[in-house]
Amino acid sequence: MQRRRVIQALAAAGALGGSPAGLWALAPNAAPAAPAVDTLPPLEGKLTLYLGHGEGGLYENVLEAIEKRNPKFELGIRRGPTAALANAIVAEARAGVRRADVFWAVDSGAIGLVDEAGLARPLPADLTGLLRPEFRYDNWAPVAGRIRTLPYFTGRLSADDVPSDIMALPDTGLSVGWAPAYAAFQSFVTAMRLLEGEEATLNWLRRLKPHATSYAGELGVVMGVERGEVDLGFANHYYTLRLRAGKPDAAVALGFTRGDAGCLVNASGILALAEGELPVNFIRYLLTREVQSYLAGEAYEIPLVSGVAPPPGLPPLAQIAPPAIDLTRLADLRPTLDLMRDAGVL
Amino acid sequence: MTTLLIPQLRRFTTALGLTSLLFALHAAADGPVGEHVNDLEAHLDEYSAEVVQLIDRIDGIVGAYDKGGLQSAKPEAVVEAWESVKFHSAIETHHVPLYASVWQGLVGVRTAIEQEAPIAAVRAEQEKLEQALWQSLGAVKLAARYQKRGLLPAVEATEAATPAETIDIIQRQLDRVVAKYAEQLTAAATGIVHDTYLQRFEGIEGQLIEQDAELVEDLEVDFNVTLPKALQDGAPVDKVRQIVEDMQAKLERAKTLLEEAEQNRADVF
Repeated sequence: MQRRRVIQALAAAGALGGSPAGLWALAPNAAPAAPAVDTLPPLEGKLTLYLGHGEGGLYENVLEAIEKRNPKFELGIRRGPTAALANAIVAEARAGVRRADVFWAVDSGAIGLVDEAGLARPLPADLTGLLRPEFRYDNWAPVAGRIRTLPYFTGRLSADDVPSDIMALPDTGLSVGWAPAYAAFQSFVTAMRLLEGEEATLNWLRRLKPHATSYAGELGVVMGVERGEVDLGFANHYYTLRLRAGKPDAAVALGFTRGDAGCLVNASGILALAEGELPVNFIRYLLTREVQSYLAGEAYEIPLVSGVAPPPGLPPLAQIAPPAIDLTRLADLRPTLDLMRDAGVL
Repeated sequence: MTTLLIPQLRRFTTALGLTSLLFALHAAADGPVGEHVNDLEAHLDEYSAEVVQLIDRIDGIVGAYDKGGLQSAKPEAVVEAWESVKFHSAIETHHVPLYASVWQGLVGVRTAIEQEAPIAAVRAEQEKLEQALWQSLGAVKLAARYQKRGLLPAVEATEAATPAETIDIIQRQLDRVVAKYAEQLTAAATGIVHDTYLQRFEGIEGQLIEQDAELVEDLEVDFNVTLPKALQDGAPVDKVRQIVEDMQAKLERAKTLLEEAEQNRADVF
């Protein structure tokens, strides 16, 4: 499995110490500013993109804009559930065919599946170097991030009531809302399993379960929190920001743990399956200042390049302390599902 | 790519009450869809003959019940007759609401016989079934005309590219919920509700909640409580259909809101 060069370097230098926390703040401005689209070479030729379900039509808007800007570029798109497309890419490769030139997935776990199969082409360092150091990978590029958060009901709690240690949450007695069937929640539990170990994670699930109410999805969790059905919940950050955009007086605010799976930063990602400059240059467009600003402003996603403001409503990113974790390892879902079943959560 | 109803076609189908002319399905739940559904025009005579034969056969079953009671009628043959005809998948792939009505009629006749209802009650169910079959034949003929003019895409797997297209898919999936429920496949109907919520509605509700938080709250309750509970409780098909129609009306409003939001959205470059 590919590991991030920066994690290795920092770990070798002892920068991580005994805690994986704090990478976000360690090198906040170590990447060059994101390029403007005007500086990129024009795209010419044909590409086939496999596009995993994304943020409504917003990824589509980006793709349409890229095509419009490059009249000699023709993009064929196959859309589908991210995991299904990842499996299709691997199956096609086993059958000796390659239909996709590029794979853009809403979930980095699916990227990991394809990368682990040895199908992703290395990306040039000048491209991956555009990303914040903690998001540089050899064979794929994170496009935009999302933070795990603990949205809390402001009618009963304040920020100080939210524990800074996710493992301490069951001890607080707070009622929680979760969506165990939801992919983002399962990635969060996977991160906990990788960071804390299987026994601690199983124990955490078992201890929290009596205090938990299940929801079908994470927007439902946030809405349940806002109605005061539970004290706090587990959800990606953008659900709360979007609810507050539609309902400015919503009784919900974002809470964060520090340095653990509770504030995992996951990302959508893209990889090239075909050789040549065209797939790489296409990926460069996604890391431009314009596209990153668009995704931050319209999809509330977190830009992973320098020089682009995060979505409004988030605290300064330097205050957030996500754990250091190789996102592609989140593809290893089976042990997580086993744990969740053992705990009676699934 | 999923093709939206063009305005002209939408107006026409709406005028005929065929607002859910269906454009895309992977496969019928009862097995693969035959290639004939992509060439309706060539099979219209066959479909017409099948409908006439079906109506005759149902009439024979009801007549046998009238003369000899339950033992003579063999009511299970009602459903067997329906499942054996090609017209079955033609209507399932091109107008799910009427497909549901046919199933509702079939089950109505079968149940009335099985419960040894008075012949007048059985005939009433038979009449509803015949109406649904004739309406379905009309819908397939209409679809054949549009298909011939190239206005309907092939029946195949499709994916949405925009929130509005996603809502179109959700609305069609909800039609399928009623159809499966009318077939008495409650688990399948419930599964469609669950999958549609997770795989479709979840993808757009983030954008929708920025436009109308209350509408999202309503639809959340519909998807996760009202509709699954009606299915689980064995509510009448008409009640389930009403819930679905209410949801589809809310989804229409959602589509308008999302389309308006899209028009006001910033450019990427």
